[in-house]
Amino acid sequence: MNTLLHLDEICCRYGAVTALHPLTLHIAAGERRAIIGPNGAGKSTVLNAIAGTAPLATGRVVFDQQPIAGLTPASRANRGIGRTFQHPGVVDTLTVADNVALAVHLPATPPSGGRRRARDTRRAQVTTALNNVGLEAHATKPTEQLSYGQRRLLEIAMVLAAEPRLLLLDEPSAGLDPHEIRNLAQLIRALPDDIAVIVVDHHLPLVFALADTITVLAAGRHIATGTPHNIRTNPQVNDVYLIPTPQQRPTSHAVDLDVLASPSWPSNPELRTSSEPAPQPPVVLQVERLRAGYHGAPVLHDIDLTVTSGAIHTILGRNGAGKSTLINTIAATHPALPGTQIRLDGIDLPPGNPTRTARHGVALVPQGRHLFASLTIREHLALAARHARRHGRPPGDVRWTTDDALDLLPALRDKLGRYPAQLSGGEQQMAALARALLTSPRLLLLDEPTEGLATAVVDQLTHAITRIADQSVAILLAEQNQHLALAVADQVSVLDHGRIAFTTTARTLHEPATRTRLNDLLGVTTTGSPS
Amino acid sequence: MVSDLVPWAVTALGGVAYGLLLFVVADGLALIVGVMNVMNLAHGASYLAGAYLACWLADGTLTGLAVAVLAGIAAAAIAGAGLSVLLKPLAGHTEQAAVTLGIGFIASWAFTRLTGGNTLSPPRPAILDGHLSFAGHGYPVYDLTFIVLAIPLAAGMYLIVRRSMAGIRLRAAVDDPLMAAAQGLSVARIRTIALATGTMLAVTAGVLGAPVIGPGPGVDSHVLTLSLIVVILGGAGTNIRALLTSALLVGMVENIGVATVPALASFSLFLIVIAVLVVRGHRQAVSAA
Amino acid sequence: MSTVTAITPDAINAARPPLLQRASANRWRRPRQGVAVAAAGLAVVLPAITGRYVVTLAATAIILALLAMSTQLLAVAALPSFGQTAFLAVGAYTAAHLADAGLTDGLLQLSGATLAAALAGAAVAPVVLRTRGTTFLMVTIMIQGLAAAVALHWTSVTGGDEGVDTPPVTLWPGHPLTEAAYQYWYALAVLAACGAGIGWLMRSRLVLVLRGHAGHEPRMAALGHHPTIGLGLGYTAAAAIAGAGGALLIVVNQHAGPADLGFGTAAAGFAAAALGTCLTGTPTMTGALTAAIAIIALRDATGSNGTGPLYLGLLCLTVPYLRPTVLRLHRHWARRSEPTA
Repeated sequence: MNTLLHLDEICCRYGAVTALHPLTLHIAAGERRAIIGPNGAGKSTVLNAIAGTAPLATGRVVFDQQPIAGLTPASRANRGIGRTFQHPGVVDTLTVADNVALAVHLPATPPSGGRRRARDTRRAQVTTALNNVGLEAHATKPTEQLSYGQRRLLEIAMVLAAEPRLLLLDEPSAGLDPHEIRNLAQLIRALPDDIAVIVVDHHLPLVFALADTITVLAAGRHIATGTPHNIRTNPQVNDVYLIPTPQQRPTSHAVDLDVLASPSWPSNPELRTSSEPAPQPPVVLQVERLRAGYHGAPVLHDIDLTVTSGAIHTILGRNGAGKSTLINTIAATHPALPGTQIRLDGIDLPPGNPTRTARHGVALVPQGRHLFASLTIREHLALAARHARRHGRPPGDVRWTTDDALDLLPALRDKLGRYPAQLSGGEQQMAALARALLTSPRLLLLDEPTEGLATAVVDQLTHAITRIADQSVAILLAEQNQHLALAVADQVSVLDHGRIAFTTTARTLHEPATRTRLNDLLGVTTTGSPS
Repeated sequence: MVSDLVPWAVTALGGVAYGLLLFVVADGLALIVGVMNVMNLAHGASYLAGAYLACWLADGTLTGLAVAVLAGIAAAAIAGAGLSVLLKPLAGHTEQAAVTLGIGFIASWAFTRLTGGNTLSPPRPAILDGHLSFAGHGYPVYDLTFIVLAIPLAAGMYLIVRRSMAGIRLRAAVDDPLMAAAQGLSVARIRTIALATGTMLAVTAGVLGAPVIGPGPGVDSHVLTLSLIVVILGGAGTNIRALLTSALLVGMVENIGVATVPALASFSLFLIVIAVLVVRGHRQAVSAA
Repeated sequence: MSTVTAITPDAINAARPPLLQRASANRWRRPRQGVAVAAAGLAVVLPAITGRYVVTLAATAIILALLAMSTQLLAVAALPSFGQTAFLAVGAYTAAHLADAGLTDGLLQLSGATLAAALAGAAVAPVVLRTRGTTFLMVTIMIQGLAAAVALHWTSVTGGDEGVDTPPVTLWPGHPLTEAAYQYWYALAVLAACGAGIGWLMRSRLVLVLRGHAGHEPRMAALGHHPTIGLGLGYTAAAAIAGAGGALLIVVNQHAGPADLGFGTAAAGFAAAALGTCLTGTPTMTGALTAAIAIIALRDATGSNGTGPLYLGLLCLTVPYLRPTVLRLHRHWARRSEPTA
């Protein structure tokens, strides 16, 4: 088999974070390869390194016997590498047909017949490309009027119209409904045999239906490569990804103290008194009929949920199910659609105003941390603490101090003078958590806090999150990592295609019926067709 | 030998004064561009307003100068806040730039109307109006005073941005406005304050710098271009040290260049900027996008 | 000629109709065509119905219109440029030197100026296109400053502060174009030709690529479009349009000097393009053309006693708010007219 693409010990770093440890891969011409792994495993980084949008720290990329590591993305595209983006990369201000026309490259020497002939050729190619994905009826529409799924199909039509020899698909099923995913699978299966495909996706049925070979990554490291069968039966793979082994949540939040660095925890007497369990924990967050969307296309429909004081409510769901949108809509960093009601301690939160939402006592740890690049960690904490003092809620509320946060997250203690870029991913996540805590929130929103982190760090975070809940903070946690999600949750809601499919309490979580339903909805089952 | 070096030293000192003046103006512009992500095309007019204010209010005493500075700061705060109100309902950068341009037009009309289009030369306070002589070469006392005033101003700016809570807030709002809002910061207020402070710096520089770059037609675009060069070299936002370095560099090139090869001096700055863009180019393209 | 000008404003209506107009596009197409024909007719007969002063101003408006269209072509690519006067200057001084060398033929000067400006644009493009957005705006202000400094200090070529005086252009040998009316008609014909050319350009693949880069640059790169090449071609074309304006400057003024090529001209050109965008919601050539005429009418005709900048400033302070206000009122009415059942 001749190798089309050879990744030779490629390694990518962002600041002090190593997104990808040296990785070697061979992709044959016409091969169908899938790369899977938990969030933050480095899957998208691999695609970006091939497409030329992620700088390589070390290593070589050889495409068609030619080294291409020094080439621009455009030059790589012209050599036959086509790609899609996680969010469909289409030009909203152009019509659907114009988008595809941008992808059609005519041969350098125009065919006999001159310009008119060339134009006709291009027009025919555009029509064919749109026909292939079933968008021909929308050709003259402005692209901004397409739904999310249609935009994804349009992007694939564009990439195919450029006639690539290697096709990189980054999360193609994200945001699509089952019907659309089925169409997508058919589309990819029907591709000509000479096009090699590398697909990164969370939707395992789709992956198993499409791929000849699967590569598993976790936290930037290569775990295994093999046939779908090998991967299903590989215990290491099961450990990192496929089958989460449920862990019992430490009962009554009694975390053994020796995992926390400071035996004097909790140091603040105020904290200690408030940690006594209340007989009837009050409702902190109440969400009713929450709706939100992108580009006019709704992503979340009529979400109702509550979080009580001191409880951890976990939102599980596949990529694209709307978890991040839900978290961001509650934090008001994403606009809610009319009709949405979000109440904190019985008070309506002002819609679309993240500042006032934060001052009411909502703290956000967003996906990707979003630390401030030019602030040291000490300055992050000072900023948050200052705010709590200024816009503090009535006295008697739990007030977190820098010492409390550092006792909880001791790894930060000697990193206070550093800038975010000088921290590892785990330390950055701890800094984001500490920053949120120091605003002394009533409600803590955590969006994928364990993304891309090693198991040891995940354990530390798990304990920290449990301890925070003990201080009667309400926590809403969006997670893909079921280890964490199931270990800490008091309540679990599963988000599926923008709706809450079901909600259950920790007690019923390990009943077989619940587990089956969870597995169905989260796509952890490795059998079945892509639907 | 020493006497050969003295003229150079005097020129270099002039360059330092000029560079510090540019630093104060450019720092204001960097603040506005960094926080608002809007090009303020009326920034040169703010400097000019300060310079005219110095001409009218300064009567040759230190008190007059102080009154001019205070009046300038007050007017600038109001003007900056007003500008932020004007810019708020506009979505696009083009619209916002057009509005600042309109303010620049009106300001230039008003200045011409009030002064008859003449280049004015403000009186320097009597105490500062003299020359110190170094080995037979005179050096204006006012320029030295300006250096003495500007150094603590620069140091103060550095300390505010790097060490104070206001500086932390400012940097947070520049780095990630949405996340700053989710931390409870009022980004709208920070923007208004940044716009007012940036305008204040330009007006103050105008009041104090009037004897160095005197007010007259065309001075607004000249000052705008020079401070833009400083901002492009030093970067928009909150890196005070880089801004100071590039302002001093521009001041030196302007002053020494004019003294030695006047024809080349006017291009050399642009050539430096082009060279810097070529070298660091891509990084900036990414950050601006 | 009148038919060409009549078609031009509609043909060069760059982007899709803006949001408000899309629904009622058909309702407005006919009146808009009528307005365009009337405006073109008026433009042609202008010298017959007004005096020399207005005709000279109208010729100035044509030059500003070319500068504004040059700026607008880059705005289509989401590149806000303040520095197109640099290429106006290259065109003007090239035409002046051709005239000095005895080549007074108008079309020769026009092609020479356009070519020289295009070459200058191609040379500068790789540097300025390393930036985008607000930084691009700042760098182009600097390009304008550089051009002004060169015009002032490179005395051997530009004549320094004095500038270069030129003999009048000729359209055929022995007949110099000295009458203001004939100069104006010549300028109008050049505008019509450029308009037709820009109209073709706006429908070409190049502008499609420019709009693609404006909308999603990473996607364009991933399709094999080199940003610097696509945008560089756009920058070169924009420079050529400004260069044509420079050739007209020589026709009208018989003089090229730093006074006509400074910050004020650059600001007027940028304002014309920006206000055109504000009027139509997207960067359109019709908008730039309209705004350029409005600016000359307000600044030079109404405000000739020194109040020109005031009027221009007030224009810049009102036009950007028109569209948001109209849209808000429109939404308000739409909501009120909705059945409340």
